[in-house]
Amino acid sequence: MGLVGIATEKILSSFSVFLFLTILLLAVARRISSSVLLFGLQSAIIAAEVLATAFQEKLPEIYIVGALVFVIKVVAIPRAFFLLTKRLKTVRDVKASTTPTQSVFIVAAIIYLSYAAVHSYGGAVHVPDDPLAAAISLILTGAFLMVSRKKALMQMLGLLVLENGIFLAALITTFGMPLVIEIGIFFDILMGLLLMGIFTFRISDTFEHLDVSKLRRLRG
Amino acid sequence: MLLLLPLAIPVLGAGLILLFHNPRAATRLALLLGGVEIAVLGTVVWQVHTHGELQQGRYLRADGLSAFFLMGIAIVSGLVLVYASGYLRHTGEGRFSSPRWFYALVFLFLFTMISVCLSANLGFLWIMMEGTTLASALLVGFYNTEGAVEAGWKYLIVCTVGIAFALFGTIVLYLAAVKAGMNPASALDWVSLMNAAPRIALDPHLVKLAFVFVIVGYGTKIGFVPMHSWLPDAHAEAPTPISALLSAVLLNCAMYALMRYDAIVSRSVGPAFPHVLLLIFGVMSMVVAGLLILVQRNLKRLMAYSSIEHMGIIAIGLGLGGPLGLFGALLHTFNHSVAKSLLFFSAGNIRHNTGTLRMDEIQGISRTLPQTTAALIVGGLAIVGLPPFSLFISEFAILSEAFAQARYLVVILFLAMLSVVFGGFAFHFFRMLCGEPDRRPENSKLIPSEYIAMGMAALCVLFFGVRIPHVFGRLLQEAIAVLQ
Repeated sequence: MGLVGIATEKILSSFSVFLFLTILLLAVARRISSSVLLFGLQSAIIAAEVLATAFQEKLPEIYIVGALVFVIKVVAIPRAFFLLTKRLKTVRDVKASTTPTQSVFIVAAIIYLSYAAVHSYGGAVHVPDDPLAAAISLILTGAFLMVSRKKALMQMLGLLVLENGIFLAALITTFGMPLVIEIGIFFDILMGLLLMGIFTFRISDTFEHLDVSKLRRLRG
Repeated sequence: MLLLLPLAIPVLGAGLILLFHNPRAATRLALLLGGVEIAVLGTVVWQVHTHGELQQGRYLRADGLSAFFLMGIAIVSGLVLVYASGYLRHTGEGRFSSPRWFYALVFLFLFTMISVCLSANLGFLWIMMEGTTLASALLVGFYNTEGAVEAGWKYLIVCTVGIAFALFGTIVLYLAAVKAGMNPASALDWVSLMNAAPRIALDPHLVKLAFVFVIVGYGTKIGFVPMHSWLPDAHAEAPTPISALLSAVLLNCAMYALMRYDAIVSRSVGPAFPHVLLLIFGVMSMVVAGLLILVQRNLKRLMAYSSIEHMGIIAIGLGLGGPLGLFGALLHTFNHSVAKSLLFFSAGNIRHNTGTLRMDEIQGISRTLPQTTAALIVGGLAIVGLPPFSLFISEFAILSEAFAQARYLVVILFLAMLSVVFGGFAFHFFRMLCGEPDRRPENSKLIPSEYIAMGMAALCVLFFGVRIPHVFGRLLQEAIAVLQ
């Protein structure tokens, strides 16, 4: 077994732990910039996992997907976020509605819950528990970040974490969807982020803040 | 080739319109392109009707169900384009909010919705469904006011998250199909999935799990309670032609996606599970939206809640199944979209002339705006489901199916909510129509574009209530045949 083979095995056996680490850290992150960095790190772990899967299963299509993940989620999106925070001149705080301690407990509960959910379905899917639990806890953590952080940028980030989870679930259960579909999904994400970027500018122009919890004129 | 044309025209057209800075020229070009697009869509529908289904490559396909929805898109988008040509005369220049941007985005929006109806692959369908959100978000925030920005942001976030769940559901279904031995390359093709449906049930839990995620995901887009929070805001804050497009075409497209999944899951694990879910969401939407209609203050929000209620009715029809249930549900998608367009057009005129949409500030419009009032009354009577308007037929079909299946709880709730909605509409409309008008609007007459759009819609709801044309009936039967 070559060096690449060993690296592949190590990545496949340990990436779930690192993903759990990133979401626990996301729960305590107080600055938008550190959250963005954590998202980049999380995407890098996933990109490594994609490449390892491609190597192990000898599926050349997946190399392309791995490259796309790296270019879009590790390089492009974090850079775009940094650009946005700079241009918007917003306060750097994420404005959490839960304290860091509470957030950590909630994310820990999410991880436990994911394992419980995987146990009941794991048998049907024939994949190891850990990666699937990691995927589901990414989805739930993304949703949690979206409801508990008041900054518009953090809602976008929560959405991206959620999407990472869905992507991971597809990858470990079925080795991903057909390539054309994956590319289409990436394109949608990019366009969605672009639009959300436009809207954050509009929110800061019309309301002079980026606190989406204060957008509550429309009700009933 | 024929299937590529209706997709190419709106995309190229959107680019072309952006080149025209003169609002008049942009409007004329949009009307011209709209006309061509409708003709092409008509040809596609006719080809499907006479020669059976069309296939283009691996990702595009049109069968009876697609044809039925394409026909609805063609008719409503035609009405909307005509109405918009007059409506936009007051709109100034702004970033992303000038007539040329308006039409370009409308054509992109149409492109995504037509792609949804033409997609042969569930993954492609998802991509285009997400595309509808992206294409219309800027249109919802078109006016750039506080309300519009808030509504646009909410729309973008809520629908993207919702649709993400639908993606997860699609992946789970794909997983079930691959596990059952289907070729991964074709495991997202709707036809292959339909053919292999009994085999997929090897793992019924996975299929059921997939449907739960899909109904929550696409249900967000349809506006099922409790995922409906974006819908009233988006409908109320968007420009009126867009409200009509959202309510009359977008919701139907999302419903179309759900129908496709429902057909696979019903064939795979039996209809009991998906249909109970549809009934639950349908009844819940009807009850909650029906009650909220009573307390609305804004005319367009009232219409939006009524859309939720009607989506509930369609879901009930689907959930009941059976020949009459499906017939009613499909017919109702069409009838509701025409009637709701008519109502939104009237609401747009009222806003132009009174300067507000708050129903407590609008009084005596029957004297000041007689023609708009006539349209409002026709639309109102149609939307609450009174004969001789077309919605009566479809609601009656769904109701008789419910009686035939002895689902008395559904029947009771359905009838109760119809009466509540009738009361709500009557209460709100009477207050607006009667009373002393506080000021005279400058021009109470309709302009030609409004005349055409509203007149056609009104004629349509009336005509389809009296008799269903032979060709239309055949198209409807072909659509039902696809689902069974």
